[in-house]
Amino acid sequence: MTTHIQEKKSQLGQGILIFIYLAVLTGLEFFIAVYFNSVILLVVVALVKAVLVLYYYMHVYKLNQDSEDSDESSYEYKTGTNRLGLWLFLISDSFVFAGLMVMRINLLGLTRPHLDQVLGLGVTALLLVSSFFMNRGETMMHNGDRKGFLNNTLITFLLGLGFLIGVVFVEWPNAIHEGVTPSGGPQGAAFFMMTGMHAFHVFTGLILLAIVWVNGRKGLYDQKNYPVEAAAVYWHFVDVVWIFFYPALYLIGALTSVV
Amino acid sequence: MRRANSVWSALLLLLLGGAIGYGIGLGIDMLVSGTLNFSGSVAAAFALLIGVSAFFFGLYGYRGITRGLVWQVVGTLLGGLLITGIRAAMGLDTFGVFLFSEPAWVVGALVGVVSFIFGVGAVSDWMKWARGIDTPEHHEDEPGWQKYFGVSYDHKVIGIQYTVTALVLISVGGLFALIFRTELAASQLQFLTNTFKLFNQNGPQIYNSLMSLHGMIMIVSILLGISGMMNYAVPLLLGAQDMAFPRMNAFAYWVAVPAAVLLLMSLVLGGFDTGWTGYPPLSARAPVGIQMFFLGVFTAGWSSILGSLNIIATVVRLRAKGMHAMRMPIFVWASVATSIIALTATQLIGLSFQLVMFQRLFGMGFFDPAKGGNPILFQHLFWFYSHPAVYVFILPGLGVISELLPVFVRKPLFGYRWVAMSSLGIALVGFLVWAHHMFTSGMNEYLRVPFMYSTLLVAVPTGVKFFSWVATIWGGKIETPTPMLFVLGAILVFLMGGLSGPPHATVSVDLHLHDTYFVVGHFHDTIFGGFVFPFFAALYYWFPKATGRRMNEFWGKVHFWMMTPSFFVLTFGMMFVGLSGMRRRIVDYDPALGFDLSHLIMTISGYLIGLSVLIFIINFFHSIKHGEVAEGNLWNSRSPEWQVPSPMPAHNYAVPFEVVGEPYDYGLVGSKYVEFMPAGTGEGVKHVPAPAGAHGSKH
Amino acid sequence: MRHFVIVGILIVVITVLAYVGLDSAGLMPLAASSQAGPIDWLWNLEVITISFLFALIVAPMAYSLIVFRRKKGDTTDAEHIEGNTNLEITWTVVPLFMVMVFAYLGAGNLAEIRRVDPAAMVVRVTGFQWAWRFEYPTNGVTSDELHVPEGQQILLQMTSNDVLHSFWVPEFRVKQDLVPGRITELRFTPTVIGSYAVRCAEICGTAHAYMESPVIVSSQADFDAWMAEQVELAEQQAATPEGRGQALVAANGCAACHSINGAAGIGPTWLGLFGRTETLTDGSTVVVDEDYMHESIEAPQAKIVAGFENQLMPAYNFTDEQIADIIAYIKTLR
Ligand code: HEA
Ligand code: HEA
Ligand code: CUA
Ligand SMILES: [Cu+2]
Repeated sequence: MTTHIQEKKSQLGQGILIFIYLAVLTGLEFFIAVYFNSVILLVVVALVKAVLVLYYYMHVYKLNQDSEDSDESSYEYKTGTNRLGLWLFLISDSFVFAGLMVMRINLLGLTRPHLDQVLGLGVTALLLVSSFFMNRGETMMHNGDRKGFLNNTLITFLLGLGFLIGVVFVEWPNAIHEGVTPSGGPQGAAFFMMTGMHAFHVFTGLILLAIVWVNGRKGLYDQKNYPVEAAAVYWHFVDVVWIFFYPALYLIGALTSVV
Repeated sequence: MRRANSVWSALLLLLLGGAIGYGIGLGIDMLVSGTLNFSGSVAAAFALLIGVSAFFFGLYGYRGITRGLVWQVVGTLLGGLLITGIRAAMGLDTFGVFLFSEPAWVVGALVGVVSFIFGVGAVSDWMKWARGIDTPEHHEDEPGWQKYFGVSYDHKVIGIQYTVTALVLISVGGLFALIFRTELAASQLQFLTNTFKLFNQNGPQIYNSLMSLHGMIMIVSILLGISGMMNYAVPLLLGAQDMAFPRMNAFAYWVAVPAAVLLLMSLVLGGFDTGWTGYPPLSARAPVGIQMFFLGVFTAGWSSILGSLNIIATVVRLRAKGMHAMRMPIFVWASVATSIIALTATQLIGLSFQLVMFQRLFGMGFFDPAKGGNPILFQHLFWFYSHPAVYVFILPGLGVISELLPVFVRKPLFGYRWVAMSSLGIALVGFLVWAHHMFTSGMNEYLRVPFMYSTLLVAVPTGVKFFSWVATIWGGKIETPTPMLFVLGAILVFLMGGLSGPPHATVSVDLHLHDTYFVVGHFHDTIFGGFVFPFFAALYYWFPKATGRRMNEFWGKVHFWMMTPSFFVLTFGMMFVGLSGMRRRIVDYDPALGFDLSHLIMTISGYLIGLSVLIFIINFFHSIKHGEVAEGNLWNSRSPEWQVPSPMPAHNYAVPFEVVGEPYDYGLVGSKYVEFMPAGTGEGVKHVPAPAGAHGSKH
Repeated sequence: MRHFVIVGILIVVITVLAYVGLDSAGLMPLAASSQAGPIDWLWNLEVITISFLFALIVAPMAYSLIVFRRKKGDTTDAEHIEGNTNLEITWTVVPLFMVMVFAYLGAGNLAEIRRVDPAAMVVRVTGFQWAWRFEYPTNGVTSDELHVPEGQQILLQMTSNDVLHSFWVPEFRVKQDLVPGRITELRFTPTVIGSYAVRCAEICGTAHAYMESPVIVSSQADFDAWMAEQVELAEQQAATPEGRGQALVAANGCAACHSINGAAGIGPTWLGLFGRTETLTDGSTVVVDEDYMHESIEAPQAKIVAGFENQLMPAYNFTDEQIADIIAYIKTLR
């Protein structure tokens, strides 16, 4: 019994530890960008962050867990199938973002749009913190703590909403103010397209969070909690995308004068 | 009797609805533009939408597909009106020749697609799950033909829905080809002249729209056709009760229907003149029809992505006991290879079209040199999908060839492992060759030679398949019923297509061949050999499994012997004129080139192919009711689905089977591929309620 | 064994027949540039290979179909042969080797046809919907026909004003797209005197099929004479408004849509245009005068003559003087 509680605690502790790593790396990233402007270092940092999220928050290794139960109609087996399906979907989706990245690299090369880096760091922080709470919420639901799950998911939701509002109602007007407009040139085109597609995914993620929150409140996930895991994995995926988009838009390369 | 009645009343309603729609459209057009335009877009759009909806109403009543279509029409109009209202409030232009402005059409079309999905009922279970309500895992389908017009979760029903939709689209696309081939039969303009008027387009513009849509409708029909084969056959070959995600399976099929409607709308709304490739800057200037084309392809792309996701998950998770990877039927291997491509690469064509769409809507200059954009970037994004896509078209077809050959030569498939792996090899190498479509595009020069090497590499795994097929046939005891004829035809035709590939790959020769009819000949050969012929083979082969009757052999042979020679004449002609200087995508050619006779012959061959397909279609529908009864193992196959009586019952195998041998061990006395477990043991068929998992509700 | 010998013979026979058949069909057009030589050589090698590979597959297949047909009443299966790893390796490695040889040859071939002659004559090419313009920078001459001397390498520096086009003269083999916003290059050395046509090979809209211009290869002497004539003509034309107008019209490909002999075209004919009464799409009529023409050139969509609703004439950025010159020229067409 005690070991069980310890295990639960250590799971939550691991979430905190990973969050600290991520936060430090994000700060480091900003520092690198401002003082060294080294593309390679920035790419390395982003990759490390992505791997941390993929492994510790998204539990990609679970794909490899064979459900002991080989009865194809059992809940465990179906969960394994659902998990695979979700990951396949994410692989597919990441090709869109990779394509957007290619577009950005092709059009902008080693220049970056005229944007407020601090503001960028701000919204990035929101999303990162939301991932942390998402992980907590998921872990708690896994451990049968419905209340903890609800609270943490609500925080995640609010932070995510904050991110969305930050991008759409603060970042965008700010960029336009700086002269980066959608129709003004490649920088605006790339910026609005990339943040727009990402924001769209954040928006769908929020819908999923709302659904699992409402259903979770009804007690639907007390036993069968895969939907919580799915929503969480999706949410983290959106975060991983931003881990790459943020440096690509705000950090990498030199400023050019706005055309 | 009810059936005959409803077909006639449906046709009547089609005419009536079309006429009413035409009248409404004419009236609206008159109100908006002040002129009566009898050949205009608005009248035609209303005629198309209302006519088709009325047709299905007559056939099936107000439910299923009919309700989807009606909702789509209403959704499109409401979405369009909403944006028009907003634009009016902002003081922007509102109504125009195409009724709505372009942004209003785009939003309307999107709302229309979503409305269709809700109207048809493809997401009702997910909606319930989202509200925390459980639904039973299986729905009992209606008996008879009616189940095909509404949402069903049975993979066999969905497979047939896909297949029939593909046949409809092949007919439409083929009809387009026959129309523009008629214009090409002689030099100079015959009926598609400058004074010809239809849907706000003149003759050459209609040619361009028909030609472009022929390309894309055919490609969509291929995507649906392979989904049909894979959906029907893969779970049966694996011994699964259904696909891994039956609801997503239904969803993937049903989004393809509004996609087809959008593609047809693009012709009506001014068309577009870019070819199926939609290169900007031309596509950034084309009429609003191109937006419908983009949205249609985008939507069909989602069908393809979700369908292939499902296939992979099914193969990974739902194989019968004992079926480890090297005992899977080749068709399953091919399906996996195809699905890997479709799952990933498809996103890129969606993205490339989406970017042009946004360039048009918001002035974002991705591909506009005047705004610092790069037109060649589009080509890279586009071909990153569209080259691998050609292997999506053929891999299932090549799988069908490998699957059927052993049955009809009564010999094991030669080198099973090599054939299985070559599918994956083609799929993977296929990701690395896209720029061979861009040798003349002005892309960076240093890219040409590496892409020549990678392109030529694809010949190696493809060659492995050919040599293995020949070795399989060699020394067999060959029978040639209709499916086998189509298999042999497929090998021959695909060989011609494949061998005409490497000349394109060598850059210097491609500088001559690019954008000529030689390319057109090349890809009709590969597509017919890799998809059309195997598709027909599969249809003749699995038809008895689905219906319990077989198709008429005599007419099947007529179909084959009419189609194959005509097809060779058609594509040889294409290659011949292409080499001598015939460009692609031209409505008219210089009479001085002396191509008139060749083109006339090609047009006649095209008609003959069309006639043979017509014969097939009649045979197909006639045999459903009147074909010779065939309930047993008609082809004497080892494959599990033939070990149980036809037609296949609703939840597939009543008792599960175990794989105990190799799939193609023909000629090995006493060997068995599958063994059905004695009743009572094994897992049996259980009906457990589905988990309230929301795995798919994010799409 | 007997089977293999017969099939071997069949393969040889079919290869030869296929190659001879394809070769005598005269597939390629006349080879009129020094780039055509290497390309045709490689193509010929490919035709030989294709004939062989075709025979290699088809001969055993056809033979099996005849010889190994199931006999009537035989219900047994054939011999159980699962495969042969050595064979599989062979038919993986040999084609691999073959394609690598082709890639190597192809790379060499490409280098050969792109060999740079520093003394190449530069011609600037502009493509636009739906015509070609050729400028000879050293002589200051602009033409809608491409004239080149025989035996001299030509370097085309090409760009487009609107959408993609592609420069292709089938007799020269090589092809290159024209991309708006950048300059693409193409080199060729014409070797056979004659008149050819450049045909736009990339779809570019309604009249893509008609985007053709004459290409005339002449001896150096004839070319020089033509050039001198052009220089003189250009000087003459520059002296009068009609002349300048005519030069502008030629350089901008107006004739692709507007005939000057009354023939129907994509746009209204210019013959007798001035002073004509036209019916517009909204039903009203106008008399074509200078103001109307000016407006129609500057903003083609403002008033459209009935029957030409769907033809979107591009907007050219002519100056007012240039428009006046063009109108002066059109006035002479009666
Ligand atoms: C089903 C579709 C399909 C398939 C299978 C292929 C197969 C191949 N294609 Fe094709 N292709 C298309 C569909 C397809 N293609 C389409 C639609 C276009 C035009 C798009 C457009 O512009 O609209 C096109 C265009 C196209 C181009 C661009 C031409 C141009 O526009 O300039 C090129 C260039 O390299 C090319 C190459 C190849 C090659 C090398 C193969 C190879 O995979 C072929 C491999 C097979 C063999 C070689 C035969 C069997 C092998 C052996 C017997 C072994 C021994 C062989 C050798 C040693 C050579 N194709
Ligand atoms: C599946 C793929 C597929 C198929 C099957 C075909 C089939 C045919 N194709 Fe197509 N084709 C393409 C894919 C395909 N094509 C593509 C991708 C392009 C490139 C487009 C581009 O350049 O952008 C192209 C381009 C293309 C061109 C070049 C156009 C140009 O460059 O200007 C030509 C010209 O001859 C042509 C001809 C034909 C003909 C005669 C057939 C015939 O086989 C058609 C036979 C007829 C039928 C199959 C219809 C039969 C049915 C009926 C008669 C029943 C009708 C009844 C009702 C509708 C109720 N095709
Ligand atoms: Cu210019 Cu086609
Ligand atoms: Cu390709």
